[in-house]
Amino acid sequence: MPKRTDIKKIMIIGSGPIVIGQACEFDYSGTQACKALRSEGYEVVLVNSNPATIMTDPEIADRTYVEPLTKDYLEKIIEIERPQALLPTVGGQTGLNLAVELAETGVLEKFGVELIGASLRAIKVAEDRLWFKDAIRKVGLDVPASALINNAQDGLKLADQLGYPVVIRPSFTLGGTGGSIAYNREEFSEAISHALDASPVHEALVEESVLGWKEYELEVMRDFRDNFVVICSIENFDPMGVHTGDSITVAPAQTLTDKEYQRMRDAAAAIIREVGVETGGSNIQFAIDPATGRMIVIEMNPRVSRSSALASKATGFPIAKIAALLAVGMTLDEIPNDITKKTPSCFEPTIDYVVVKIPKWQFEKFAGADSTLGTQMKSVGEVMAIGRTFKEALQKGIRSLEPSSPWRAPADTPVSLLREKIATPRPDRIHWLFVALERGLSSKEVIELTKIDPWFIQQMQEIVAVNRRLASVTVETVPEDLLREAKRIGTSDEQLAQLWKTTSAAIRHRRTKAHIAPVYKRVDTCAAEFESFTPYMYSTYEDEDESEPTNKQKIAILGSGPNRIGQGIEFDYCCCHASFALREDGYETIMINCNPETVSTDYDTSDRLYFEPLTLEDVLSVVDREKPQGVIVQFGGQTPLNLALELKRNGVPIIGTAPESIDLAEDRRRFGRLLDELKIPQPKNGTALVPEEAARVASEIGFPVLVRPSYVLGGRAMVIAYDLNTVQEYVAQAALMGPARPVLIDQFLEEATEVDVDALADGEDVVIGGVMEHIEEAGVHSGDSSCVLPPVSLSPSVLARIRDYTHRLAKALQVVGLMNVQYAIQRDTVYVLEVNPRASRTVPYVSKATGVPLAKVAARLMAGKKLRDMNLPVVVTDGVSEIAVRDYYAVKSPVFPFNKFRGVDTILGPEMRSTGEVMGVSKNFGQAFAKAQLAAGQRLPRKGSIFLSVSDHDKRHFAPLAKELHALGFRLIATRGTAAALEAAGVPAEPVYKVNEGRPNIVDLVKTGKVDMVINTPLGRESFYDEKSIRRAAIRYNIPCITTLSAANAAARGIRALVEQSLEVSPLQTLHLKKAAAPQLPSAD
Amino acid sequence: MVREFSAISSNWRSTESTQAYLTRHNIPVLWDVDTRALVRHIRKQGALRGVLATDGSAAEALVTEARALTSMAGQELASRVSSEKQYAWDKGSIELTASPWHEGMGEVQPDGEVQKFRVVAYDYGIKQNILRLLVDHNCEVLVVPAKTSAEDALALKPDGVFLSNGPGDPEPATYAVESIRNLLGKAPVFGICLGHQLCGLALGGKTFKLRFGHHGSNHPVKNLLTDQVEITAQNHGFCVDPDSLPSSEVEITHVNLNDHTNEGLRHRTLPLFSVQYHPEASPGPHDSHYLFRQFTETMKHWKLSGTLRRGQTRAQ
Repeated sequence: MPKRTDIKKIMIIGSGPIVIGQACEFDYSGTQACKALRSEGYEVVLVNSNPATIMTDPEIADRTYVEPLTKDYLEKIIEIERPQALLPTVGGQTGLNLAVELAETGVLEKFGVELIGASLRAIKVAEDRLWFKDAIRKVGLDVPASALINNAQDGLKLADQLGYPVVIRPSFTLGGTGGSIAYNREEFSEAISHALDASPVHEALVEESVLGWKEYELEVMRDFRDNFVVICSIENFDPMGVHTGDSITVAPAQTLTDKEYQRMRDAAAAIIREVGVETGGSNIQFAIDPATGRMIVIEMNPRVSRSSALASKATGFPIAKIAALLAVGMTLDEIPNDITKKTPSCFEPTIDYVVVKIPKWQFEKFAGADSTLGTQMKSVGEVMAIGRTFKEALQKGIRSLEPSSPWRAPADTPVSLLREKIATPRPDRIHWLFVALERGLSSKEVIELTKIDPWFIQQMQEIVAVNRRLASVTVETVPEDLLREAKRIGTSDEQLAQLWKTTSAAIRHRRTKAHIAPVYKRVDTCAAEFESFTPYMYSTYEDEDESEPTNKQKIAILGSGPNRIGQGIEFDYCCCHASFALREDGYETIMINCNPETVSTDYDTSDRLYFEPLTLEDVLSVVDREKPQGVIVQFGGQTPLNLALELKRNGVPIIGTAPESIDLAEDRRRFGRLLDELKIPQPKNGTALVPEEAARVASEIGFPVLVRPSYVLGGRAMVIAYDLNTVQEYVAQAALMGPARPVLIDQFLEEATEVDVDALADGEDVVIGGVMEHIEEAGVHSGDSSCVLPPVSLSPSVLARIRDYTHRLAKALQVVGLMNVQYAIQRDTVYVLEVNPRASRTVPYVSKATGVPLAKVAARLMAGKKLRDMNLPVVVTDGVSEIAVRDYYAVKSPVFPFNKFRGVDTILGPEMRSTGEVMGVSKNFGQAFAKAQLAAGQRLPRKGSIFLSVSDHDKRHFAPLAKELHALGFRLIATRGTAAALEAAGVPAEPVYKVNEGRPNIVDLVKTGKVDMVINTPLGRESFYDEKSIRRAAIRYNIPCITTLSAANAAARGIRALVEQSLEVSPLQTLHLKKAAAPQLPSAD
Repeated sequence: MVREFSAISSNWRSTESTQAYLTRHNIPVLWDVDTRALVRHIRKQGALRGVLATDGSAAEALVTEARALTSMAGQELASRVSSEKQYAWDKGSIELTASPWHEGMGEVQPDGEVQKFRVVAYDYGIKQNILRLLVDHNCEVLVVPAKTSAEDALALKPDGVFLSNGPGDPEPATYAVESIRNLLGKAPVFGICLGHQLCGLALGGKTFKLRFGHHGSNHPVKNLLTDQVEITAQNHGFCVDPDSLPSSEVEITHVNLNDHTNEGLRHRTLPLFSVQYHPEASPGPHDSHYLFRQFTETMKHWKLSGTLRRGQTRAQ
């Protein structure tokens, strides 16, 4: 069927900020959809609040709105753009929910917008648990016994009937938020109220448990002609009970016979037809009772999903792209397969390798969070590994996680603890499984305890058996065939080095002597049946190599690995841009990465893709094979940077800023000396290895001090210490954590304003890319702080110094490419906090705000181009070039995963905990801030009551804020101390009980909806025990909760803008049109 | 021949490991092979003859031995693998579980009675799952040897005749071509794989050998009558040349979307249709099970029109 010609303009809703359960896989799918539709001649209007995405690059869509993803904003955009159709299936659950809201509130009908890709009915049937179950039963399939309930009493009655354990699933939530398993009545009572609260419709499904059953997913597609194909089958290593996003998963399914697989395939076809998904991709989950083979249907996503991104990467079949084309009426047999070119997309990919996905968790960032895995997804990222066998893929996957070094359990772990460690699914279970098998627990016992399929345990036993044989030899005595066997099952050089107490370099040397090197095979959708034209490769130890490197000028880019807090989509964005720019300049680009969610691992982002772990061994092997002229390490965050020096030592041509400069900037002592030489102020600082030394250093500096480990990523494990005890405890703890690395102690600048600067340099010239003023004061991690570009409150003299320091630092560090500097401004002194001569988290945001793609420019500089040849729109102030700022403010705000971690305090600090970011743009700072807050899920109120509780310190400064809020018509509620201070300042305030003072107290007011916003600044270091419960309650009831005075001031400006101004939206293409200044550069000095 | 061989089996239906099963049937397994390299080799070179050896013979000797093997082209193998005797088959598909769901098969008459069909199935190397699916579709099956004449087959008073899959080159199987010509118009005919190629020959067409054949369970085939695509299992080295068929009598019904070779045909006026692929696939997808239904429908109409014909004859 040819594509529809009655549609000209199509709107796509993105998935918004990165949150747990909805990450950059939707940037990948959305970008594919935009590109596919535009290539067919459609005009694409994109809305997404997340500036760190490739999809919001102005060249991906025709009109790109970085605006809050709410019904009101979308309606406004629809009113302006008048699209004929809306594609709701590539923006995750967010996109789907918004489409439903737009349809049900009549907006789509009012403006004549047609839903394509999934009808409202199909979405509702798939998403509504009861309707879905009815549909499943109607086609004769089986579902777990269950019922929907909307109050706790009914739930308890039902749970008693079903028998424990029971599963609780709230309706309409992301990534299973609020879901859990209850093993008894008591647990159930707590779980059900949490689930009902989590559901936007106050409804939850209580369901028969299928804990321990085998779990499968099918990724399927269907077109208008009712053609149906299965793209990929996925089997969960972890049985039912662990959310699929938190499970290790394997593709294709490993432990199904054809009979069972075909039965599942038939069921999937019947389901997609009954639910009524006429075109596009769906994900359908099944469970199979290992004892009887009974198959039940768990759920369906009538859209592209995290699993479909994984399936696309696992097979080479671009599900999102094809889904977009099907939505406009094309059929599967009309769309060619990109990889084979000759055959159509209407087929089922064959896989002649095994793919293993392993999630990445970060519980260490959320003290108090329960690390047990259950029905609610808690991982922040994932890795994928490809091998010719499950054993190889599993071991490659494990080393793709960071840290990649082999995991070791204490040798004296008692067997009873081993049993507990493998019986309860937690992030480290895979390691404990190996330990248990090594220690001699029988397969039978492990299977009984874990319910993991015997076949998987057998595979692990086989790895353990090889390890035993390896342990009986040394690097000198190992027979070649044993060494080859170890490599063939995916054992890393580092594992062997640890086993044989030598270095991985020695292992590499031994391998080279024996000619044991990986070959590269292709992912081609067809198991080599047809010729493939896309070099998408993975390493393995086999006979034949298919990589066929070219003789072109080529540059390799190291990606950033699994998404983590502090190292996420922003770095993938930079890697993609490096590839785009260098391809445009005629280089062949080679991407190395192991994250299946990303755009960088799309086979058409780079000329060649190596889906490989980012370890020294794996990167060196690719470099050996490809021999690129340059390798870029500064775009992928800390992961490739950690390899930089070793790569260089091994003769790898690193381009851009020298690894030595990067190292210098990370070495506090040497960097401190450099700052002294440059006469640039820095906070007083020192380092310490032992508590006594720490006490001395801290006393010299003066309290408060900031204490942290060296080599940080996303501010892990930083604290602000106000006394000696805290410092000493910290150092003692750090020493316990691992090998002696010094602890860094810095003067903490209270009440300082923090500023981030991104700059470009080519070794001769420097151009400042953007100066961002943080809205939260110094002390909050820069990744967790809202910031604004251009700055709103910095004086010209401060700005001049910032420019001057940045310029001189870039020159001193001989930066070629990007550099990020963090400054703190305290009482008119500009201090340098940190310099990172590499791409930073803020690069995509600055690029979107200014319209200048910094990462692309930087990649070109690394390849040898000069700033002066690039015709950048710069202005020169005080002799320093800077990308011209525009006539609007762009505010970036972070998004936090607190709703996923019950019991975790939400207070911001030096440890980064946000997972994603949004951007709000407006000519008015207040409105830009309000938009960013709204996009981040904090709906600032226009009227109502505000609860105020501020630290004694802040009481000195908060009167103007309180007056402003009062003037805006808000009723102020405060605890007695704050209320008294307010009354003294002439602002009326109603006193309210603290939690321990009586009822109703402040938490009661929050829970009963009598508070519309909470401003609660932490009371110094003596923490008030009810503060945490107020903040928790605010999160739970989705009330904006502001924890710093500076943010509260910004919020007041935002509220004023909301009250006084009408809603305004503008696409990036229009914003970027207005050039602010003529290009010019000062001569080099 | 596999990359890796599983030492254990893990399935609630399993009664023994694969290794034990293969040992019992004296079937060797070659494993730890770079199978992908082998596939690429065949893709580039075309179908190759090979020898599997475990006795340590020199590679050159084995290559010579392989080269000495006769090519599949020109070999008539169907009669060599066919059953020598006629037999009845009455087993249906294996039910996997007590799951309430299964395909809506069978033809239930308004009065609740199930209509049965008598099918004569030519065994050119027939797969059991074809027989099982025929039984599932309410057929009473009589399997007959490959060289059974049309007369002998018709003497069994079938409602329809089935022509099975099988090995070898269809062209030298002239006995089968002749039988099919004689069956044409006397009973509904349904052919699969070799049966399809033989139909092509019987209708005046030609067959040829593919470069490396079609193998696997993911081949897209377009049904030209419905414009729908079915995912099919295939295992054939020869192919009917659609241009060689008389278009006045024969209609092309199915085409392979990968290489556009012929996958199905039917006679324009007489009750005969056939497909190159395996609608009964096991292992393989079930998309094409409708063809069995189509066969019973054809037999139903044939019976009905037969009754009418006979009635008319009597009336005259």
